[in-house]
Amino acid sequence: MIEDRIANGFSPFVIPFMVGMAFVLGYCIIGMVRLLLQLPGEDRKKFLVSLITPSTMLKNVRDLFLDCLFHVKLWKRKPLLGYMHSSIAFGWFMIILLGHIEVALFLPHRLKTFYYPIFFNYFVAEEGRTLKGSVFFFLMDFFLLVILSGIILAIIKRIRSRWFGMRRTTKLTAVDRIGLYSLWLIFPLRLLAEGFTAHISGGSFLTMPVNWVVQHVFSSPGFFDNNLHMLPTWWAYSIDLAVFMFVLPFSRYMHIPAEMLLIPMRNAGLKIRNARKGFAKAVVYSCPSCGVCIDACPMTVKKANVKYSTVYLNRQIRRGNEDKIEEISDKCLMCGKCSAVCQVGVQGPELRVAQRAVRKYAVPGDFSSINTVPLTIAAGQGTGNVAYFAGCMTALTPGISRSVESLLKKSGVDYKFLDRDGGLCCGRPMLMAGRIKEAHQIMAKNREIILSSGCDTLLVSCPICYKVFKENYDLEAAGVKVLHHSVYFESLAASGKLKIEHDLLNLVFHDPCELGRGSGIYEQPRNLLALAGNLVGAEQDRKMSICCGGSLGSLTLDFQQREDMTRNALKNLCADVPDIIVTACPLCRSTLRRYADRPVLDISEVVDRFAVARGLERSA
Amino acid sequence: MKETVVIIGGGIAAIEAARQLLSLGYSPLIVERSNSLGGHVAQWHRLFPDMTPAQDLVRQMISSISQAEICLGTEVASLNRLKDGYSVVLSNGRNVVCRAVLIATGFDLFDARKKEEYGYGIYNQVMTNRDLEQWFNTGNDPRVRNPKSIGFVHCVGSRDLKAGNSQCSKVCCVTAIKQAIEMKERFPAAQIYCFYMDLRLFGKKYEDFYINAQKDFDIHFIRGRVSQVDETIDGGVVVKAEDTLSGKPLKVSLDLLVLMSGMVCNAGSASIAGMIRADVDTDGFLRSKDNVYNIVESNRPGIFFAGACTGTKTVPETISEARSAALSIHNYLKG
Repeated sequence: MIEDRIANGFSPFVIPFMVGMAFVLGYCIIGMVRLLLQLPGEDRKKFLVSLITPSTMLKNVRDLFLDCLFHVKLWKRKPLLGYMHSSIAFGWFMIILLGHIEVALFLPHRLKTFYYPIFFNYFVAEEGRTLKGSVFFFLMDFFLLVILSGIILAIIKRIRSRWFGMRRTTKLTAVDRIGLYSLWLIFPLRLLAEGFTAHISGGSFLTMPVNWVVQHVFSSPGFFDNNLHMLPTWWAYSIDLAVFMFVLPFSRYMHIPAEMLLIPMRNAGLKIRNARKGFAKAVVYSCPSCGVCIDACPMTVKKANVKYSTVYLNRQIRRGNEDKIEEISDKCLMCGKCSAVCQVGVQGPELRVAQRAVRKYAVPGDFSSINTVPLTIAAGQGTGNVAYFAGCMTALTPGISRSVESLLKKSGVDYKFLDRDGGLCCGRPMLMAGRIKEAHQIMAKNREIILSSGCDTLLVSCPICYKVFKENYDLEAAGVKVLHHSVYFESLAASGKLKIEHDLLNLVFHDPCELGRGSGIYEQPRNLLALAGNLVGAEQDRKMSICCGGSLGSLTLDFQQREDMTRNALKNLCADVPDIIVTACPLCRSTLRRYADRPVLDISEVVDRFAVARGLERSA
Repeated sequence: MKETVVIIGGGIAAIEAARQLLSLGYSPLIVERSNSLGGHVAQWHRLFPDMTPAQDLVRQMISSISQAEICLGTEVASLNRLKDGYSVVLSNGRNVVCRAVLIATGFDLFDARKKEEYGYGIYNQVMTNRDLEQWFNTGNDPRVRNPKSIGFVHCVGSRDLKAGNSQCSKVCCVTAIKQAIEMKERFPAAQIYCFYMDLRLFGKKYEDFYINAQKDFDIHFIRGRVSQVDETIDGGVVVKAEDTLSGKPLKVSLDLLVLMSGMVCNAGSASIAGMIRADVDTDGFLRSKDNVYNIVESNRPGIFFAGACTGTKTVPETISEARSAALSIHNYLKG
């Protein structure tokens, strides 16, 4: 039987813990209320409604368990890293949960005492052994062991981060260090404290041997007298918990409560609208400073530009360091790889666009005076349901538009070339620069031109145009399907309209950021290429593809700074010694060509080389 | 017996250095990769500012080195430092030991296909400055068909970080003006445009050339880089550029577009420099001991440079540098 050992159920050592807990809860609640108030009205409503909608409720619970406790994404990335995090998070959660169950089962009248489940072993005495009690003591010790194994891994990771699949990790701040060391200490201290009291409160396979050690090995009547040191160890445990809770809001450990808010907000469909307020705040505070984005960032090749990676953007936004925030926001290539690898889903590029959008320009852009009449008239002429929009980048790489036209002719498609004699920019570069209003002016005009063509399929060569047409133009609603040429020609080949002869060339495909991570198109270009030659792999591809370095996303990187990035991307692509590097973006193609030691071609150029004109098929 | 000096390269720098070395009492050995001497200049038609026929000059220069030993169609297979000199192994199997080597490997013309937006190799009516000189020489090029309008694009691959070259090629400004005048003389009815970002007319009589081109030949100079070239249905090209003096974008339809390809370091220079660990400069050209006082000397004893292997040069500059290199070699060998 387990019973109260201390009649009033109180000891002064619980005070540090209680104060720390009150502080951290107060801080988080006030922070959450402020954050909710910062949300635009419709977003707030959307969020609150989602909290009581059964389907999102279910999703929230699932995501909270899988992401916050089990760290499923980390397991997928590197099991050792996943084990380290989930052992601490899930173990801790279980200890708290079991502590409450213990109180509820054995001492239900103490349930309203907040600290009881945490310091249970101090306040109870085991009068007689029961199976129920033993099971709980066993479980408590078991999860403590799980946590301790995680802590040992965490200490090893600090020394040998490469064993955990990380080349570079973040530089910790002073507060982060206090948080880290106090976190490491919590569980050894708990073990020690429970060990000191285990002969009274009862214990299991972990706490009992510790008790035996302190009872017998150090049992000299002087210093190591067990009962004399029982209380100081419990004090130490409580103070350490308090230290951790006091530094939590100012350290990276703020990600623990923040992520619990971020997950339901994301599931409610909220988007970053302001780089500092509302949803963005939840995003920024959810960053655990793990530094996975440092290795992922294409700018950090040769140890350069580490300070511009997303983890440091989050840190500077938390600090409110305006100069650094601006600098980091402008430097980024917007390739989206940091988002792809981020375990909590920090959206690096979106944060930066929101930051760029608050900037004031001396001369506001105004595109309302652009006359679209000649362009709409030109677009309306000619026949064909397929309108080909080459875009500015393809206008600078006429080799690509030639191949696309040639393939369209070989497939017998009736098409019109929408911007052969000039057109408007798609607006995405403006959008990425954060000039949202100007971008929308251009986009509205461009949409008018596209719709006046009367086409039902808009074929584009440039993934930058593709992404914006798809996401911001609302063309599908007007009955216009937007297709990138790699997808279109793949479907033509699959339906037999386009015949391609196979060759023995080794081809590697470079996923353009805007087409791959940006639009989720990975397989169609590869299927199409596999018809023309042998597809070989790159070191990192698909979601992990490395930006070519030519992106329009960066506002401040110059050519010399980009050179190392491009060379790194090329090295990654040439791992399997391809004969030709193939991509599906005119900008990637130009950029890679600058330093490549072998041909770099657009997918349309490669396919056109092996495509057979209709009626000219070689007879079998 | 006369002392041998190996000269790598067979352009005007090599020929002139050989001539000077002969008269100083040495026995120069010219190693040239191609099958003829004269390099880029031999392919040119006329040279500014006096419209000297390039082939006459090259012929005259070659005739002056009849006593020099010349290995055509030969490359340097290896170049090794000995205790007191170099061992040069040629691709024909010959091994030459000498105390001094002159590197005169010159330049490559920038590959205009790299500036794809200008359409060289894609559109029919786009040619380079070298193509045009060849047409002047041979009169045989399908692209030149009595053009009514001709454009010249300056700085193609020069002063262009996007193309990987920051250097100015020095000669293209005046070459464009020279070629524009020559075209106007052949096709007096044609409208001729030069698209430039700067006109760097530093040499003797260059400015006169420019003034004549405007005054006597009515050639239009438009300040602004060409952004894009498109092909028209009738096979001509449309050039989109900005006139930065009037601040307006403009579109010009042309029958012929000539790209003034700049100079980049010869691809072979770096491999030869690598054999003896001579330095390559940040611009890709070979690095002189210094760029003021010792341009023809390298950081390796007995290795000398002449001509465009160390940077972009005009013909007269190259010739004086070749003479200077010969004298430096002479001083090195006798001292």
